[in-house]
Amino acid sequence: MDASPQEFRAIVERHQARVFSIAYRILGESGVAEEVAQDVFLELHRNLPRLASEEHLTAWLRRVACHRGTDALRRRAARGGMAAEEYQDGMALRPVVRDFIPLMNRVEQLLLTLPPQQRAVMLLRYQEDLEPEDIALELKMPLATVRSYLQRGVKMLRAKADRTLKEYSRG
Amino acid sequence: MDPFEQELREQLQARSAPGGFADRVMARVPHGRAPRETFLGFGLGFRQPVWRWAVAAVLVAGMVLGGLEHDRQQRLAGERAREQVLLALRITGSTLRDVQQKVGARDERESFSQKGTVREKDDQ
Repeated sequence: MDASPQEFRAIVERHQARVFSIAYRILGESGVAEEVAQDVFLELHRNLPRLASEEHLTAWLRRVACHRGTDALRRRAARGGMAAEEYQDGMALRPVVRDFIPLMNRVEQLLLTLPPQQRAVMLLRYQEDLEPEDIALELKMPLATVRSYLQRGVKMLRAKADRTLKEYSRG
Repeated sequence: MDPFEQELREQLQARSAPGGFADRVMARVPHGRAPRETFLGFGLGFRQPVWRWAVAAVLVAGMVLGGLEHDRQQRLAGERAREQVLLALRITGSTLRDVQQKVGARDERESFSQKGTVREKDDQ
């Protein structure tokens, strides 16, 4: 594909919600998510000639947004933030987060309690509406791993959502 | 898909990017058109895979035809050299024959004149 500045701007406007949402839901911070999303579009600008169609471009954006999001998460963990492994032991929501977010945003917060790779898989399934086979292709992951991530992810989120809802209703 | 998964899907609809996001991206994008892919670093624009294949096919065909033409030229040069050698041999053979004939004729003349001298002596 080839694009003039106006055409490239149209591409950004068409896909910005998708890319920003993936980055935001992997990282959990709007500022860092915007930075990552901008970097994804700059990378797209450099790689645009290699992308032959709109479908190819959309798949490329999904994949790169997931990878750059998890990379940023790893960098943050290396700088002393939460290590990726810490997400795996079924941690609960931090009270400060739990008390101030509206109920409809809790799914996003619950998602942040999953390990980063699993988060990316869940996003591609439930935000982007991709089938497990397509997720496996896009993230270059074995299909069995994708299915396992989805199964365990839904189970964990369901358990956490039940717990959170009980805490919320208790006030 | 069970109700919980349906709920997940509804809650995880794409959220809007912050206001002015596209402006900020465009401010960071280098000016001008998106870069075209270069071919062998010479700046020729070959964006579609079909063009790449076409260029590769032309290059391969060029190499094959070049190789065939090179072989043909080599063969022609070989034939020319062979003809020249044969011509040289023919010329050499004919020259040798001439020389041989001349030498033969001279020997014959000398032998004839010697016989004549002997006969004159015998007559005396």
